[in-house]
Amino acid sequence: MFCSKKKSLEVERIVKANDREHNEKFQYADNCIHTSKYNILTFLPINLFEQFQRVANAYFLFLLILQLIPEISSLTWFTTMVPLVLVITMTAVKDATDDYFRHKSDNQVNNRLSEVLIDSKLQNEKWMNVKVGDIVKLENNQFVAADLLLLSSSEPHGLCYIETAELDGETNLKVRHALSVTSELGADISRLAKFDGTVVCEAPNNKLDKFTGVLSWKDSKHSLNNEKIILRGCILRNTSWCFGMVIFAGPDTKLMQNSGKTKFKRTSIDRLMNTLVLWIFGFLVCMGVILAIGNSIWENQVGDKFRTFLFWNEGEKNSVFSGFLTFWSYIIILNTVVPISLYVSMEVIRLGHSYFINWDRKMYYPEKATPAEARTTTLNEELGQIEYIFSDKTGTLTENIMTFKKCSINGKIYGEADDGMGQKTDMTKKNEPVDFAVNPQADRTCQFSDHRLMESIKLGDSKVYEFLRVLALCHTVMSEENSAGQLIYQVQSPDEGALVTAARNLGFIFKSRTSETITIEELGTLVTYQLLAFLDFNNIRKRMSVIVRNPEGQIKLYSKGADTILFEKLHPSNEDLLTLTTDHLSEFAGEGLRTLAIAYRDLDDKYFKEWHKMLEDANTLIDERDERVAGLYEEIERDLMLLGATAVEDKLQEGVIETVTNLSLANIKIWVLTGDKQETAINIGYACNMLTDDMNDVFIISGNTAVEVREELRKAKENLFEQNRSFSNGHVVFEKQQLELDSVVEETITGDYALIINGHSLAHALESGIKGDLLELACMCKTVVCCRVTPLQKAQVVELVKKYRNAVTLAIGDGANDVSMIKSAHIGVGISGQEGMQAVLASDYSFAQFRYLQRLLLVHGRWSYFRMCKFLCYFFYKNFAFTLVHFWFGFFCGFSAQTVYDQWFITLFNIVYTSLPVLAMGIFDQDVDDQNSMDYPQLYEPGQLNLLFNKRKFFICMAHGIYTSLALFFIPYGAFYNVAGDDGQHVADYQSFAVTMATSLVIVVSVQI
Amino acid sequence: MKKASQICQSKLPDNTALKQQQLPAYRLQLSATGVLSGFFATGAFCLGVGIILILSAKSIKEIEIKYTKICANCAELREDAINFDKECTCSIPFYLSETMQGNVYLYYKLYGFYQNLYRYILSRSNSQLVGTDLKDVGNCAPFSKSHNGTPIAPCGAIANSIFNDTIILSYNLNSSIHMEVPMLRSGITWWTDKYVKFRNPTAINLSSAFTGTAKPPFWSKSVYELDLEDTENNGFLNDDFIVWMRTAAFPTFKKLYRRLNRVQYFIEGLPAGNYSFNITYNFPVTRFKGEKSVVLSTLTWSGGSSLFLGLAYTVTGAVTWLAAFSMMAIHLMLKEKRTLFIER
Repeated sequence: MFCSKKKSLEVERIVKANDREHNEKFQYADNCIHTSKYNILTFLPINLFEQFQRVANAYFLFLLILQLIPEISSLTWFTTMVPLVLVITMTAVKDATDDYFRHKSDNQVNNRLSEVLIDSKLQNEKWMNVKVGDIVKLENNQFVAADLLLLSSSEPHGLCYIETAELDGETNLKVRHALSVTSELGADISRLAKFDGTVVCEAPNNKLDKFTGVLSWKDSKHSLNNEKIILRGCILRNTSWCFGMVIFAGPDTKLMQNSGKTKFKRTSIDRLMNTLVLWIFGFLVCMGVILAIGNSIWENQVGDKFRTFLFWNEGEKNSVFSGFLTFWSYIIILNTVVPISLYVSMEVIRLGHSYFINWDRKMYYPEKATPAEARTTTLNEELGQIEYIFSDKTGTLTENIMTFKKCSINGKIYGEADDGMGQKTDMTKKNEPVDFAVNPQADRTCQFSDHRLMESIKLGDSKVYEFLRVLALCHTVMSEENSAGQLIYQVQSPDEGALVTAARNLGFIFKSRTSETITIEELGTLVTYQLLAFLDFNNIRKRMSVIVRNPEGQIKLYSKGADTILFEKLHPSNEDLLTLTTDHLSEFAGEGLRTLAIAYRDLDDKYFKEWHKMLEDANTLIDERDERVAGLYEEIERDLMLLGATAVEDKLQEGVIETVTNLSLANIKIWVLTGDKQETAINIGYACNMLTDDMNDVFIISGNTAVEVREELRKAKENLFEQNRSFSNGHVVFEKQQLELDSVVEETITGDYALIINGHSLAHALESGIKGDLLELACMCKTVVCCRVTPLQKAQVVELVKKYRNAVTLAIGDGANDVSMIKSAHIGVGISGQEGMQAVLASDYSFAQFRYLQRLLLVHGRWSYFRMCKFLCYFFYKNFAFTLVHFWFGFFCGFSAQTVYDQWFITLFNIVYTSLPVLAMGIFDQDVDDQNSMDYPQLYEPGQLNLLFNKRKFFICMAHGIYTSLALFFIPYGAFYNVAGDDGQHVADYQSFAVTMATSLVIVVSVQI
Repeated sequence: MKKASQICQSKLPDNTALKQQQLPAYRLQLSATGVLSGFFATGAFCLGVGIILILSAKSIKEIEIKYTKICANCAELREDAINFDKECTCSIPFYLSETMQGNVYLYYKLYGFYQNLYRYILSRSNSQLVGTDLKDVGNCAPFSKSHNGTPIAPCGAIANSIFNDTIILSYNLNSSIHMEVPMLRSGITWWTDKYVKFRNPTAINLSSAFTGTAKPPFWSKSVYELDLEDTENNGFLNDDFIVWMRTAAFPTFKKLYRRLNRVQYFIEGLPAGNYSFNITYNFPVTRFKGEKSVVLSTLTWSGGSSLFLGLAYTVTGAVTWLAAFSMMAIHLMLKEKRTLFIER
């Protein structure tokens, strides 16, 4: 449903700025969006159409139509109509409410205001009225209204910063820059209003990272790429204003082109059900055929002669035709094998289970007042079948509350020492936090206790000063003063926050920043540094630097970054300090701390000026801009002087260790996929017992090329088999090693292994050739840790396991970078933690702490699975017992499709007569109580092996049902045969028989529970 | 703001038994002795009931005489519909060797008559039968209206195909004295049928009540002429009609026709001796290879139960006991082993 329908497929888009008439010719979509599916008029037809696209509903509709044909209708129409209408109404109401909320949010979005240049004036205009070709002004922290071509901005060179979290989940800022010709326009409204460039570009598409187009203006052409485009959904950051020209609006924007393709997740039981329903349908057809043939024969042998007696003058009917009609009649009668109420009951049960999850007090996190939430109600029983858990580390296993723990400055460790070290250091004051009373701006939440550092500060150690200065200057934190006059830091990564706060507590207080200056308070005196250049952080550089001029006029480069990277850039004179600091760093890393190295460089004026000019030139380049800029960054970030290192602790969440242990006892494999570096990841692995010292081997894959990775994988595998062979009794023939590798089944592997794989190795390993090797190896290991992985890789790993292992997977994470993984796993769990709500919004279940996962899986998941399986078995049994009686009766009623039961009984059998016990069982049944299922995680295994409801089980249920139906039919038959009541009346009449059968059926199937 | 804090408060799930899944539940604790005694008790019960049922079924005296072949000439006559108004009677003598004590019931029994055919069962009009709307013949096809368009009363295939043989039992004291055995036609229907489900339309007399309706094509007389002597047995309230309208579940069925009026000679039941059935043969069955028979039967407290139920109970009981015994054997064996193990 678009606002305006396009008449033909767009091949190329031509947009002229500030010229609505010109652009209207092309009938481009305007900026009004509709995510809602229906309006009042279209709701009924469209919704019904959608509902009948579901197989079950279509099947019942088909039955209903069959029943409306009087010739074959053996049941009155209401037997199908009543449940069908009930189900459809319920779904329709649900859809209607969903859509109502969508309408509301659409309205809200469409009515947002933005400043648009109309008639040479800036006017506030609703988003929905923004047209292609308009020039729009954006201000800081505003949402971008449409896909814009950036024209100019408040920053030099027409730069602007955007946050793309809503698009790709990445929270770091991205830079966009305008063409130099347009950036000259600045904020000059009159010039902007005269801007009449024409953009010729590609048709709307969903590629977020690609754009090609040409801007023709003033007789010259300028090529446009993705760097010049701001997409809808982004937020403008750190830029006070910018102007852009609308290229794509509304439904044509890349955001909208990308949306609405959320995959519908189904449980494996659902899929099994679908095949089973097909089988049952086949079975139904078979029964129908048998009975139809029976009917033909009967008509031929008996009915023909009988008919003249009963049906006066219908002699023209032939037996084959009658058989054909009977077939359909019996299809109708026997359809209750798969009653519509099965689907309804399943939904009800799942809903019930979801509510239980929502209601569970033991999954309620009081500190944040967040209960667990089942955001999808259809996946509950899958929670009882999980085999693989993919977990994010930061924020999931850990709290993602960073605390500055230690630092190493100029070769000296400061900060809380562990017990062993504590003996040597100041014992008496060891555990008392440093009193920050001297500093009124101190943040009380940060506890850093080492008086030696305070003393060093008081002594005026210049290295310490420089160290703290780096912490206070080199970051992207924004400061803000709240109403009480207190400094509040807006941090994008908690790491940075921790460092800046630490510096603040130690007397180097970051006060404010403008685009040109940074003001800090150094031990009580305000100092303003001129910000000359900002060398931002990215995943390749893994470091960030600032170049500032201090009040004394010196130019300094302050840098912080990953130790491995930064150590390569050091000045040779740092050798000694480097070895010392490296020791310290490994010590920090050994304690599971996140480390960063800190360095600086003095620059001389001339050199900097030259460099800066080059940088400016590079920035204005169109081609290879990034490469050139990166090269320049490289150039200036060398010969650094090491200052020290910081260690930030990311505490493990409460209960993580127990949860991990319990889950692995339940035979669930936990893979950690983290963006952190290898050491940190391994440490966390050890910290939460996923890696232990008594593991047989830990394979580390960190090759940089495909060949290397393949080699390493092969080696690890051989190693594994080698060791394994030594466990077995040596009957293995060694010359057949290659064959052996393939033939040894996973189950024969004894001992614990762990695999640790690096991000770039993973990239190679995920290539098709080695995929298999990786998977094989990974699945044999007890623990797999992938570090330095990108969000996409996370999803790829999940897909890999999902596809080739055929296992049920669960992904758990808290950040925007986990969204892809959460979406691609069978079940996505979001942790409502520090990093915003993206993960939660994309997830199927959410709660506040990792430890609740244990309860979710072992208790709720297990119960759901048990209940659902029991319910399904019982339901199939019940309906087979119920329906097949008709089949047997067919042999006694001339195959005339006479039902055994009363019509209303058939209609209401599943809904009224037998619904409550089975629902109660499906919702409340507990085979073991929650404490026991937590205490004995092994109880989880039947779910993983899919033992409780599979094809075999189904056949057992079916056989059981058939047996019951036989007993149900033939015992009353025998009992009624040739019998009279105690007053001599005949009781073998149809009605009494029907009532007896129905009653005994209800009793039998109810007792069966 | 206040509201917000309330919301925060209410986010904590209620601590109720339902929401925390702590509802009291009863878990069966199965002990060997419990299970075994349960099995034995069930078995004993089933065996007991079964044996009683069998014994009572054995005590029933029943005589069945198939008369389709005996009255072959009549059967042949009836095969052709043209002869519908030719009367055909048939007498079937038989000897009752033992007295039939107590109430004796006379049934007719049909073989291979499918009263349970789907279209047959539907072919009736309950609103007509209950006397509210004589014109309502909706479901009665193909017997809803006569050739001239008047609605048939009673309409439908069931009513049309009513069993219309007359069976008279006579007691032959000796070769000359033939005495008709007094039979009651009342009390052979279900109470609900006679007094709730079947009602005559209200009018001064029945024939006027049924004006504007036609008789079913197979019927020789109109519905209001079924019993001209007893108004309570006429029209839709005719007992034979009501009995017929209660369709049988299986193609072989017997329906109650008369019951013995225990007066004079028959105060004790049917004395032994020579009897004969005088049957006016109207109902054709040979065309669909069916058969007809008359049945004389006594009843016990459990009704005219057949052997089957008794047998079923007995067999179930026996199987249960067998299972119980084998379980006990296994249990004892295991126990022995365990004690041996402990002793060691």
